[in-house]
Amino acid sequence: MATLTLLRQAAVEQEQWVTETEFTRFWSLVQLAPGINLLALTTLIGRKVSGAKGVFLALLGLLLPSVGITVLLTAAYTHIQHAPIVQHILSGIIPAIVGVGLVTAWQIARPPLEQSRRLGRSSFLLSLVLIGGSIFAARLGHLPVVVILGGAGGGYALWSLWKHRRAQAAQ
Amino acid sequence: MSLLLYFWLFLKASLFSTSGMGNLPSLHADLPARHWATERQFGEALTIGSISPGPTGLWVISLGYLTGGLRGSLLALLAVLLPPLLILGIERLYRRVQNHPAVEGFVHGLGLAVVGIFLVALFGILASAGINTRSVVILLAAIGLAATKRVPVLGIIGLAGIVGVAWRG
Repeated sequence: MATLTLLRQAAVEQEQWVTETEFTRFWSLVQLAPGINLLALTTLIGRKVSGAKGVFLALLGLLLPSVGITVLLTAAYTHIQHAPIVQHILSGIIPAIVGVGLVTAWQIARPPLEQSRRLGRSSFLLSLVLIGGSIFAARLGHLPVVVILGGAGGGYALWSLWKHRRAQAAQ
Repeated sequence: MSLLLYFWLFLKASLFSTSGMGNLPSLHADLPARHWATERQFGEALTIGSISPGPTGLWVISLGYLTGGLRGSLLALLAVLLPPLLILGIERLYRRVQNHPAVEGFVHGLGLAVVGIFLVALFGILASAGINTRSVVILLAAIGLAATKRVPVLGIIGLAGIVGVAWRG
């Protein structure tokens, strides 16, 4: 989150590479792009500033320090990981990371859940079933993740199409 | 360990994720099953990833290093770097199809399934640290602090580390 805030300040407010509206449009668009949103956002801003060269330089600038530090920290960790104190620290941190992850999961789940609740009880119910079903499929069914994602996406796509058709027919 | 398969598993995880930790479920389903990573290493990589600056999604670089050394981290970097470049094509395509109900529906369903698989992965990582009074108290406290949105993740991690040393289960 901090990186996004800093990036926005630099790109919109200080350097004025993109307008406020453009930045918001880019940000909602990259939610749909595969992978790390910040990398896709950086790609779009880089292209806007100076084409392929801009994309390359922007990504290099974003990744060089953060990847470098991640690798150095991990390398340092592998040297001290067997010290008892490190194990105590880590056994405290891991449940906390899971807690932070659960809050993230809730933040990811809330917009689609609220949207489907506005669409009616059956859409909301289907959304809950898709979450529950994917938990079940991943935990007990051991289905490949791609199959679960594709199935849930395809299932809801069919449901939206059907609702859309019905709404059109009713008009 | 086949390097090509290793790279593909990281690439696939990145291709089917749409946010920072979104690549966790896929990797968590693939790597431990092949004994290429342990639950523990996932916890470690996520911890290092949240301490490091930059996008949260870069935690996989740490996972790459822990499971495949410097070569592993380079492959992981390449795997997270390539999929976001697809945005250049997606931007054009999306302008044409964004209001189609099937497209909206697919994105909606995808987001929900990611949450479900994500929860399963988190449970596995928690179980690796042991489920006891201590870990449950830390978990609940972290949820409470993170939900306020006022405490930075780094602060929560720092506190949890101190609790880990002070309260030895």
